Amino acid sequence: MRIGIDVGGTHTDAVLLDASTVLSSNKTLTTADVTSGIVNAIKKLLEDSGLEDSHGIDAVMIGTTQFTNAVVERRELCPVAAIRLALPSGKGCPPLTGWPDDIADAVGRHVYTCHGGFLYDGNTLAKVKLEELDKIIADIQQRQIQCVAISSAFSTMDATPEKMMKARLQKALPHVRVTLSHEMGSLGLLERENAAILNAALLPFADRVVSAFQQALQQLGLRCPMFISQNDGTLMNTDFVKRFPALTFASGPTNSLRGAYKLTGIENALVVDIGGTTSDIGVLQNGFPRESGQVVDIGGVRTNFRMPDVHAVGLGGGSIVSADGNQIGPQSCGHKLVSEARVFGGNTLTTTDIAVAAGYVAIGPHAHSMALPDSLVQQALNTMKALLDRNIDMMKPNAKPVPVILVGGGAILVNGDLASASETVRPEYAGVANAIGAAIAQVGGEAESLMSYRSLGREPALEQVKSLAIKHACNAGACPDSIRILDIEETEVPYMDGEVTRVRVKVVGELNALSGSREVTA
Amino acid sequence: MILNTIGVEDMDALSLGSVFLATGGGGDPYLPMLLTKQALETFGPVRLIQVDDLDDDANIVALGAVGAPTVSLELLPSIDEASETLTAFETHTQKAVDVVASFEVGGGNSLLPIMAAAGRGLPVVDGDGMGRALPEAQMMTYAIAGAKPTPAVARDYAGNTASFNTSDTATYERHIRAFAMSAGGMITAAEHPMTGAFIKQAIIPGSLSFAIQLGRLLMEKRGPVAQIVEPLQALFSGSVYGRCELLFTGKVVDKSTRITGGYDVGSAIIEDFDNIHAPLNIAIKNEYLLATQNDKVLASVPDLIVVVDYDTSEPINAERLKFGQRVGVLAVGCPAFYRTEAALKVVSPRAFGFDIDYVPLD
Repeated sequence: MRIGIDVGGTHTDAVLLDASTVLSSNKTLTTADVTSGIVNAIKKLLEDSGLEDSHGIDAVMIGTTQFTNAVVERRELCPVAAIRLALPSGKGCPPLTGWPDDIADAVGRHVYTCHGGFLYDGNTLAKVKLEELDKIIADIQQRQIQCVAISSAFSTMDATPEKMMKARLQKALPHVRVTLSHEMGSLGLLERENAAILNAALLPFADRVVSAFQQALQQLGLRCPMFISQNDGTLMNTDFVKRFPALTFASGPTNSLRGAYKLTGIENALVVDIGGTTSDIGVLQNGFPRESGQVVDIGGVRTNFRMPDVHAVGLGGGSIVSADGNQIGPQSCGHKLVSEARVFGGNTLTTTDIAVAAGYVAIGPHAHSMALPDSLVQQALNTMKALLDRNIDMMKPNAKPVPVILVGGGAILVNGDLASASETVRPEYAGVANAIGAAIAQVGGEAESLMSYRSLGREPALEQVKSLAIKHACNAGACPDSIRILDIEETEVPYMDGEVTRVRVKVVGELNALSGSREVTA
Repeated sequence: MILNTIGVEDMDALSLGSVFLATGGGGDPYLPMLLTKQALETFGPVRLIQVDDLDDDANIVALGAVGAPTVSLELLPSIDEASETLTAFETHTQKAVDVVASFEVGGGNSLLPIMAAAGRGLPVVDGDGMGRALPEAQMMTYAIAGAKPTPAVARDYAGNTASFNTSDTATYERHIRAFAMSAGGMITAAEHPMTGAFIKQAIIPGSLSFAIQLGRLLMEKRGPVAQIVEPLQALFSGSVYGRCELLFTGKVVDKSTRITGGYDVGSAIIEDFDNIHAPLNIAIKNEYLLATQNDKVLASVPDLIVVVDYDTSEPINAERLKFGQRVGVLAVGCPAFYRTEAALKVVSPRAFGFDIDYVPLD
């Protein structure tokens, strides 16, 4: 059995799964300390399922927004020394370039640039100068900085300069913790470096979060391993989270997409997660979220994290409906729904009131006294469907009919089939799809490199990148025998001499800890 | 709107406007923009000279980057590289430069001349050699009007320089690209020395001011493409460009490019959301060059084909165009300069190897 938990800004969702069977689930308010909320949610799960004890639990999977929120709210960030080996290039745009002042202040402005790095063709950009490195190390020591981010040009192709700096730094200052940029992201030195700096700034907080989670489990007498979900729908073990907390960014939408997949078994579909204010439309491709191709902004900092491509539409359970039913949202009463909506005795006409009047759902003390005209209800229902259909059409991968899976608390707004869907699917437990997504996540690994097919040959070059991705997955806790290639992306690089290709490989595998237990299938 | 100076406050708009005019090429101007802002903060605003106000005997040189945009994602630009290139050019030619000109008002290359001029206290001419982005030296208005590209000086990221004296523009283009490839994939070049008298009939006038205006409009009216078309049309109607129209909206269902003969060549297919109309095909050769529907040419180079985000109207360059993106495709008539016979010989679809005549947008 597995426990899946999704810690959102407002709600903490929890689910207890036995293989593909949901034994119990609940939705509670997220507590300020997060941990006590998790403890209560798990207690309730066990009580509701009638389990005698927790021995049968194989693993607890947690998806959390805490690290994203720390960056957005500039909390819990520690000082970071940012070292880049790329001189003489990049003069005038050192690390932290383009950062908002408040977050640059929050991580301190300890910025170092020195010679090093590679060119696209494998030639040396500049030779590393040891005396430069030693001067930086001395300064870090003097400033007593504990966390360091190191980047170098084309380190996705050859990370020797980053590793060399790290080794020298930790030889002099063994307690210092280091994030290397090539472990964090893909091509794009500035964005990759930004990701490494954010990650380094979260390292002490990650220790605290992980140990709080571990204490919570201990308190409950759970001895099983614990995992945290990351942005690509895969899991990290606790050691990995302590090293790469930034990889949890945007795990929430990912978990909801993955949960929808597991609840339905449909590998290629659109998923509409209808909440209180918005409907988030995402795309499942082969059971995993389609990723966005854009530069991703986290709290004002440019990064190249791979994030699910999610399109938000202003339609939720609290969306405000115009008097003629022709206009819905994007204004919403949000969490005030329970006082402002007509079914709760308020004066605001919301989508929830329409759903109640249409008989889709029975909630609220004033459900029968609203007396909404049939024509208004019908018009509002049509407007909602049309709004969803239009936006679903925009997200569809191609013109072929595709199933649409409705999840989230607001899924009650839609009855019958959507015109844009080949089939409209409403799985049971749709309200806790994100916790289910966390519970069923696999372990992934990814590698990206610029390869010269001319000198290496295509097959050996692909093999090199594949084995690197597999190594990453094993390090993250995957069982080596279960690993399969999820995606290979080959991109020829413009203008360059014919056969230089950017190769990116993604792999996934079953968790090591669970490889002996029953596999979860939909 | 005529500007007399370019300052820090114009940089966001100039970057955005020049990505629009880059028609898919030109690379990401994000870092060049930040560096130019720094240069302007340090040295103050740069004087912008209108083409008509140039001294006839002014010594003018065009400055910009040559190479692979992808490379600059890792080999970051430096704040001094543009001004150092200018200095190296002056040393080589033993003559002081009076005014700096732009290769193209597209991507990062619209910013490099300003970065160079700021550090040296020189003015920049309000105009450029393409009115958009195009991949090769012989496609510049300067070359078409008869300017020789050399003497020219190119400088790599480490300060190594090369000087060129070539018999013709095609040879120059081949040689400088070879230098770029062996020097890390991206270099800065000062080339096409010209006099004020010559450049007056060899430049797209006012294009820097226009790109700033365009960028401002894109920022202020940020939103769905259907809503921005009208303000865009109003802006383009009073410019050196022709009319602007929305050709198509839909999503990218296929995009593939390969390197062929030193170009990034391929196509993108865009299907409309309702699947009522035939899909739009965009031919790419570094830039967006042809937009066709059922083999009917809707827009063709040298007219501008611009792909923007459907929801925000932010222009998307070819490198970033991806499967699944929701986009609007706009076309803008090119400046009159490019509709002359001499210009079409080097920039029409046939010059790019397509068996299609230029179909002017009217």
